[in-house]
Amino acid sequence: MFLIIGRTIKESFINFWRNGWLSVAAVSVLVLSLFVVGAVFTMGMIADNVLKNVEGKVNVSVYFKSDVSEEKISQSKKDLESFKEISSIEYVSKDKALEIFKKDNADEPVIMQSLEEIGENPLLASLVIKANNPSQYQSISDYVSNASFKDDVSRINYGKNKDLINRLNGIIFQSKKIGLVVAGIFGAVSILIIFNTIRITIYTHKQEIEVMRLVGASNMFIRLPFIFEGILYGVIASLIASLILMVAIKFINVYASSVVSSGNLFTFYLSHALYVLGLQIAIGAFLGITSSWIAMRKYLKI
Amino acid sequence: MKNKLNKKEKDFEDGNDIELEDRIEELRVENDSTLIRFDHVTKIFKNDKAILDDINLEIKKGEFVSIVGHSGAGKSTLLKLIHVEESPTEGSVYFDGVSLDMISRRKLAYHRRRIGMIFQDFKLLPQKTVFENVAYALEVCGAPKAEILEDVPQILDIVGLGDKMEKFPRQLSGGEQQKVVLARALIHKPLVIVADEPTGNLDPNNSLEIVKLLLDINKLGTTVILASHDHDIVNKASKRVVVLDHGKIICDDAKGKYKIC
Repeated sequence: MFLIIGRTIKESFINFWRNGWLSVAAVSVLVLSLFVVGAVFTMGMIADNVLKNVEGKVNVSVYFKSDVSEEKISQSKKDLESFKEISSIEYVSKDKALEIFKKDNADEPVIMQSLEEIGENPLLASLVIKANNPSQYQSISDYVSNASFKDDVSRINYGKNKDLINRLNGIIFQSKKIGLVVAGIFGAVSILIIFNTIRITIYTHKQEIEVMRLVGASNMFIRLPFIFEGILYGVIASLIASLILMVAIKFINVYASSVVSSGNLFTFYLSHALYVLGLQIAIGAFLGITSSWIAMRKYLKI
Repeated sequence: MKNKLNKKEKDFEDGNDIELEDRIEELRVENDSTLIRFDHVTKIFKNDKAILDDINLEIKKGEFVSIVGHSGAGKSTLLKLIHVEESPTEGSVYFDGVSLDMISRRKLAYHRRRIGMIFQDFKLLPQKTVFENVAYALEVCGAPKAEILEDVPQILDIVGLGDKMEKFPRQLSGGEQQKVVLARALIHKPLVIVADEPTGNLDPNNSLEIVKLLLDINKLGTTVILASHDHDIVNKASKRVVVLDHGKIICDDAKGKYKIC
């Protein structure tokens, strides 16, 4: 059994090598389609990560008028805490808001300067509300604007992020769809090209196949080299494709690092690279086997 | 379980197929000295006229049978039925007591290992040496390397090519090439050697040598079926002669000469 598999694998490597340019053509088309698959998949992962990031940052900030006392605010906080859909409420006092603002803009001297010129703390105290579910922000916001303390509220900051998320979701969905269609087209083309390559291999091995049948080689032994040849195309192509993908991401990394939560697109990719590679190998091998099988069904008489 | 698997693997490598042999025991409908029996066999290609027309023929174990007739008389088709290259349109061919239509496509390979085929056009692989050509027959059946290294030189010695193992087919004469084919046919220790015009491409001297080898092999107990339209070699064999004409057997002489009845 192992002898047979060993011999047929050897045979398929020789076929691969002797087919020369045909193999190159088959592998390059397959590389293209697997690259698209890998890219779509990686993009999807990054997009999900970005989405999660943004969703985590969503909140409703309720700013109170500057003359509202701290006790009144904490009373409102208590009032809001009875709201089931709220997961957390954080009180940010005027001083704390200033502190955060200073930290955020530490390297913007113009802003810092103008802040000093104002002299007093221009920021408002606020309650930062996070919901259990992004879809609940609307009702929370509605509740706040009709609450008993609505006269103390200066403004409710909510809405910008929500639009962003919806738009992002739409873009991700569309690009995933387009990517899959493109990958499908490339996949179909690669099946055709591998099919043709294997057909030619079968043709050039007519004599051997005839002799094999003559001397009683089992069907498996006759067929396996072609199956392995198909798998070989798949595996080689997926290795090349993921290498290209890696280089591409390393390149993009310089421009787009900040989109993922870890702050480094390349390391983010690396941590998922095996997953992507596995997917590519599986799809590549599947395409290879499928086309070998079709070619054998048509041209290899047992 | 593991033991059983190992045993199966070993059997597979030895070229024995336990399952097939069991099946053969089950399916055997006659158990006597008959090796091949054609039972009312008719073969028609695509609504053309019958290539073989109601053939009844019995070949016993250890026999040497020459099948003669004009080109197109159906000799090759008859031989192809034994090798299951073709299947009969009507009737059945029995091999070693088993009807050949009972053997599944998957098991066909094992059936073919019981038959050594020889052709007019040799069908040697030009890019392989003499040794590799013969070894190939064992390799593709999953024989272990040790067995190949032992058996191949032995067989090549028997056909008298022990000193030309490393030559390529194109470096050999036609007669020598046919001997390589014969060695390849013998490597599985087949029950029968089926030779389809083995001397068609050879000069008279080489033809005689091949026939002599076939006779020697027959003496050792292997059944030989020889299809030919070469008077000399059929007469030289002076064994049973079956004459085919237009798909029918018109003569069957136990100790015959080449003739068209």
